[in-house]
Amino acid sequence: MDSVELILASAVRLAVPLAFAALGEWIAERAGTLNISVEGMMLGGAFTAVAGAGLTGSASAGLLFGVAAGLLVAFVHACFSHRLSVNTYVVGLTLNVLVLGLTSFLLLKTESRQVDKLTIPLLSDIPVIGPALFDQRWPAYLLAALVPAAWWLVRRSRWGLEARAAGENPQSADVTGIDVNKRRRQALMLCGALAGLGGAYLAVAEVGTFNQNMTAGRGYMVIAAVIFGGWTLRGTLAGVLVFGAADAMRLALPALGYTLNPQFLVASPYILALIAMTFFATTRRGPAALGRPFVRGIT
Amino acid sequence: MTLTRPGARHADRAPVRSRLRTPLLYAVSFAVALALAAALVTVGGHSMADALLALYQGSLDGGASIGQTIDETTPLLIVAIGAIVSARAGIFNIGQEGQLIVGAAAGAAIGLFVPGPGWLVGALALLGAALAGALWAGIPAVLYYWRGVDVVVATLLMVFVAMQLVSFAVNRDYLLQETAVEGQILSPQSDLLPEGVRLPRLGEYPDFNLGTGFVIALAVTGVVAYLLRHGKWGFRLRMLGLNPVAARRAGVRAAALGGGALLLSGGAAGLAGGVMLTGGVYRIQAGFADNVGWEGLLVALVARNHPLVAIPVALFFGVLRAGGGFLASTGVPRYLVSVVTALLVLAAAFPAAYAELRKRRRPAVEA
Amino acid sequence: MSMPPSTEHARSAGTAAPAAAVPSVELRRITKRFGSVVACDDVSLSVRPGEIHGLLGQNGAGKSTLMKILTGLVVPDSGEIMMAGRHVEVNDPQTATALGIAMVHQHFSLVGRMRVWENAVLGELGRVDRDHARRVVNEVGERYGLAVNPDAYVDDLSTGERQRVELIKCLRRRPGLLILDEPTSVLTLAESRELFSVLRRVTTDENTTVILISHKLDEILHATDRVTIMRGGAVVARRDTAGTDARDLARAMVGREPATWTAASAVGSMDALVQGGRAATEGDVRLRLTDVRATARDGRPLLSGLSLHVRAGEILGIAGVEGNGQAALGDLLSSLLDLDGGTVEVGGSAVPTGEPGAMHRAGVGVVPEDRHASGCVLDMSVAENLVLTDLDQVSGSVLVSPRKLRERAARLIEEFDIAVPSPDTPMRLLSGGNQQKVVLARELAARPTVLVAAQPTRGLDVGATEYMTERIHQAARDGIAVLLISTELEEILTLAHRVAVIHRGAIVGEMTRADVDLERLGLMMGGRAA
Repeated sequence: MDSVELILASAVRLAVPLAFAALGEWIAERAGTLNISVEGMMLGGAFTAVAGAGLTGSASAGLLFGVAAGLLVAFVHACFSHRLSVNTYVVGLTLNVLVLGLTSFLLLKTESRQVDKLTIPLLSDIPVIGPALFDQRWPAYLLAALVPAAWWLVRRSRWGLEARAAGENPQSADVTGIDVNKRRRQALMLCGALAGLGGAYLAVAEVGTFNQNMTAGRGYMVIAAVIFGGWTLRGTLAGVLVFGAADAMRLALPALGYTLNPQFLVASPYILALIAMTFFATTRRGPAALGRPFVRGIT
Repeated sequence: MTLTRPGARHADRAPVRSRLRTPLLYAVSFAVALALAAALVTVGGHSMADALLALYQGSLDGGASIGQTIDETTPLLIVAIGAIVSARAGIFNIGQEGQLIVGAAAGAAIGLFVPGPGWLVGALALLGAALAGALWAGIPAVLYYWRGVDVVVATLLMVFVAMQLVSFAVNRDYLLQETAVEGQILSPQSDLLPEGVRLPRLGEYPDFNLGTGFVIALAVTGVVAYLLRHGKWGFRLRMLGLNPVAARRAGVRAAALGGGALLLSGGAAGLAGGVMLTGGVYRIQAGFADNVGWEGLLVALVARNHPLVAIPVALFFGVLRAGGGFLASTGVPRYLVSVVTALLVLAAAFPAAYAELRKRRRPAVEA
Repeated sequence: MSMPPSTEHARSAGTAAPAAAVPSVELRRITKRFGSVVACDDVSLSVRPGEIHGLLGQNGAGKSTLMKILTGLVVPDSGEIMMAGRHVEVNDPQTATALGIAMVHQHFSLVGRMRVWENAVLGELGRVDRDHARRVVNEVGERYGLAVNPDAYVDDLSTGERQRVELIKCLRRRPGLLILDEPTSVLTLAESRELFSVLRRVTTDENTTVILISHKLDEILHATDRVTIMRGGAVVARRDTAGTDARDLARAMVGREPATWTAASAVGSMDALVQGGRAATEGDVRLRLTDVRATARDGRPLLSGLSLHVRAGEILGIAGVEGNGQAALGDLLSSLLDLDGGTVEVGGSAVPTGEPGAMHRAGVGVVPEDRHASGCVLDMSVAENLVLTDLDQVSGSVLVSPRKLRERAARLIEEFDIAVPSPDTPMRLLSGGNQQKVVLARELAARPTVLVAAQPTRGLDVGATEYMTERIHQAARDGIAVLLISTELEEILTLAHRVAVIHRGAIVGEMTRADVDLERLGLMMGGRAA
């Protein structure tokens, strides 16, 4: 029982940074951008968060720096993909190379700084799920507000309606009077902010410092989560949790005396996403115009 | 438009200006990219002149450096040619990084464990590498034509599976991990390939020397360029890429031709891995691919899917990679090369896209 | 340059009714070029508040471009737009919406995987209120007789229902100006009549101004107050509908007396066509479809037990309202569609369906409905487009012979009178008529036994229409079995020896050309047994 509790707590802990970024990726994809640069956004967020924390002396302020870095990457991506209509995958990959190079080049030695834990009394004593849900670093609780907010934004608000239309049928959206590329840019900026926050959380909440390439493919895992979740918010978050659990098991099992293949566990998110795509390909589809640039007059 | 004065010979001047605009835009965007890189170097407390000198010395100064540049160019070019083939069929494969390392792993397995004369095993290793890369691209191909799974996403996800697969293999002594030596800790890497199965090298260090892989790269480029331009296969591939519905009406089997193109592009990436393995690295480990797959893809994109243009572009990327190895000696982190590469790719994409945008915003404005 | 304002004003005041001196919308001297083609040449158009104004012209006359300019989808090279007497700039659809301009597009502007109510409020401002939106959909639907379930997904609706949603979407914004682009091409006769009564109510009850784009004379005469006629990108005539007749309009639209049957077909006047049938031939059956069934990927039925046959030298016209399986029928004979059941026989032997190129090899030539989507490759050259299906004729086992490619192209360009600067010209740069000639040339060059022509003259000007019509006749005279699929009844009556009506993916009735009874045909097309 103890080990279940432990693994669960660790799974949630590892899932939190993914969850922030996944919210953003979900929004971006619903608006029609398959955003590969989410990896760069997270990595940039992690780096600037640590730098910002060092600069201001406050780990919490570091989170804001992380958000800013994510926004910056998103801004560049949005300009190239949804103003200049350069292939979004090219831009995404290039930005990832750029951010990885930049953060490695500037790699800084800083003292470890971490935001505080916030243990919610009583609730955290609930067996099994208590520690997982109510004994985390404080920014993790932001998710409790951000998840419903993102859902409302995409599913219920005027903006979300227009963004979804931009992702499903940009030509129709355009003749209806919606600025398709503007909605897509905005969605991408939201993704940048959230992914930057996720990366920052990884650095200043979970680890406490920055290591070279510290996101190590977590951005791609986020993309996998959105696909795994069939482009629904609920499914995306489930994906994030499953992937977090796989990661937690990789870390915990050797200590508990089990031997499960670490490589298999690392690869499992991608394999699960591929399987999900294969079997739900006909029922749960992504936005129809996902990854296609919109240019007026070209169908 | 804004420059028009009364009496100005608008109609005569406009075409000249628009003809000059594009090269000018290229010059400006490359200058901006390099200025950003220079600023970065300066911020890091280094000298841009030193960095440039190091890049030059590492890539073009003297026989050994030039050989190094060509060695770096070779796999980039092969990957790029593969990417071009699939792009012509309208299929966007972005999983070369994974296809490359899987190919290299297969090549290593053949090179290490298949008995026989060295040259034959070497050839088999290259063939096996290409086949393994094709197989790895074949999975997304099957998923696409069977279930409609998006190729971009599938090839991307397969990269990370590939890396773990190879990591798995080089961590298992019953697979590819190196043979135990008394008193030494085992590393997660394979044994070195025996001398006989390696690609021959021309010249010797410290003089001009290079692997013969570039011959393979040029041969692949030549054949593909010729067939794309003059072959029935190239014709059909273009038809499929530009209008798949019309192609089907005309009897093109998308799954065979398009899937074949995807397999070929995976095969090229695998072959590139094989060439890297047998041509200079000689052993496989988790970090083997070293971004060659990603960068090869970028070469194809910068070359706008023209195989012959890919040669100079790949060479340019090769210069940066070779120079990057030398950069570390000056105290500038070699990651500068990734930054410069990425900035240049963005700089190369900007002018054409900007011109497009202008054309759309002001239709027929010069008329 | 322009006339003094006073003169301009005096002139427009002369034609306008005294009560409505200020036009609701006015386009002044609009010019728009696409490359060397002048789509709109110095066009002026003035529409009064509360009227239904017809914009009549053949395909390619510039009507759609003009309306795209008004809705911000196309930016004009020169000219001015006035609304209620004030100058406005309409640079994008967003601005057009803000100005109260709404358009029902030929190809719908709906998002398929959203619900009706979501589509209805798309493009508005302010908070999204689901319950309110649903109520409004029902209210607007009731007021104008456009009933549709607000919670249905648009993907699940029929084309007629989709157009209702489109109308609701426009009307609920209470637009000052409502534009409809060829709205009846997807409707049955009865549905069309309903639509026109809705439009009349909109103009009288709400004082909305309506512009109705059409190339059908009957429609313009029936539904509009005034009409502006365009030809070749320019306005050639303006009329009060009450003071004109079909013959007058047709003359203005075509630019000459529509004496021949081709011209009558082009202008869409049925009167000239009802007399004069041709006898059906008694050749061998070249194409036979037996009980063919197919479903779309989302499970909707496309073809439900369709059977037909075409004899050598015969033209069988498939009439029907758009969206009743015509596209699927064309796709089937282009090897683009796989069947759930039934057989296709060409020249007496069964042809496998859905196998790439099988129909072509069996001797079926197709001029497809949407030539851009499946008939040609726009980014390849004319010469290359001429060999898309017969690559082997100009190539060895591996290489394409550039010499043979050019020779063949030169021959076909000559034979089919294709206007093109060089065989190497990209297909994209050709006019619609020449593109269609390239497609036809390629298909006929393969010496087919069956020719399928789907909407062969859609989007073509009168010259190209005549050319296509003549070529199709010639093909039948040469003994080819021709299957003509068209939503233009006039075209079918012009060409066919025998007419079959398609409804919901099946043939619901058939008659020889001589027995054609328009009333009965119309009922059949609407799905009512007759």
